[in-house]
Amino acid sequence: MHVDWLRQEIIFKIVYYGPGLGGKTTNLKHLHAHLDPAVRSELIVLKTSDERTLYFDFLQLELGRLKGKKPRFHIYTVPGQARYAYGRSIIIRDSDAVVFVADSQRARMDDNLSSMLDLEIKLNRQQRTLGEFPWVMQYNKRDLPNIENLSTLQRRLNFLNAPWYEAVATSGLGVFETLRGAIQLLISKI
Amino acid sequence: MANKDHSIEVRHMETTQRSNGKKLVLSETTFESVARILSDLVKSSRARLCIFADMNGYPISSAGEEGKIDLSALTAVAAGTFSATAEMARMTSDEQRFQYIYHEGRSENIYLCNVSDDYLLIVLFDKSVALGLIRILTQRAFEKTRDLLQQLKTESEQVTRFLDVEFRNMLSDELDRSLGT
Repeated sequence: MHVDWLRQEIIFKIVYYGPGLGGKTTNLKHLHAHLDPAVRSELIVLKTSDERTLYFDFLQLELGRLKGKKPRFHIYTVPGQARYAYGRSIIIRDSDAVVFVADSQRARMDDNLSSMLDLEIKLNRQQRTLGEFPWVMQYNKRDLPNIENLSTLQRRLNFLNAPWYEAVATSGLGVFETLRGAIQLLISKI
Repeated sequence: MANKDHSIEVRHMETTQRSNGKKLVLSETTFESVARILSDLVKSSRARLCIFADMNGYPISSAGEEGKIDLSALTAVAAGTFSATAEMARMTSDEQRFQYIYHEGRSENIYLCNVSDDYLLIVLFDKSVALGLIRILTQRAFEKTRDLLQQLKTESEQVTRFLDVEFRNMLSDELDRSLGT
């Protein structure tokens, strides 16, 4: 969080985390495509030649002045691939909230858990933990076959009882609700 | 009304010092000193734009011609660039971060300078300006800002109260409107 008293602005950093190919960038693309251009920036995507996130994606959401103060949200994704672990640790630094984008497919459960553990380790390095940190769970790809049912997902992944949302990021289902839920949770925890 | 309420607080600017995770307050005097250093740098170097930002990518102060440049986006990417080079530095040497990064474009060049690992200076300049001049003048600006920030570490911390209940409620309503529920 960054408070600028001179400009009367407050900037929050929200990070989309999760396993590679889980749909983090797709979430941001949907937000960019469907948010009023007056409140969002251009989407910056730093990707590899095969469309995988290399450094991060970045989108800024800027609400109008409220009581003279302007809230802004810097929304980042991290590269999901295991080899970019160091880059993730830098992006997650000083984040104010996390959206964990889990892949609902049965075959991806271990990847989801590995990514959650990776997130917890990175938070621990900053003396923080998922048990207290504002984060929400998004179960993405709910339209695909071979997905886990909700009760199994909840039991296996959401053992910390974070607010959770079902989503199909490719069609936009649940995308706005997830972000709104993360921001509301963040504000309530400050 | 709001201005009057914040007549004292508005004299301060807060940012985060990542090295110890604590909040750091830039006093108005310090903020103005940084702004003056940037302004001097633009004038003496004939750079198009100079920006002082933190390593999280938050723009703090700038001088020169912004034009249509989205400062927040530019500083976010610049900070990301340092993240990437930090990884390169880690793989190839004991360095934590590279001190400078230089991008040479067809008509415009970008010079990035790491200030005490917590901040960065971004200088945009065109082909008519010599890189050597930019390097020398940015070095001077770098040392001045580093000295300022060194002093800051001894300044007292201040808890700010930007998010009062009324503001939170308004923000919640605005989110419902913008993100439609």
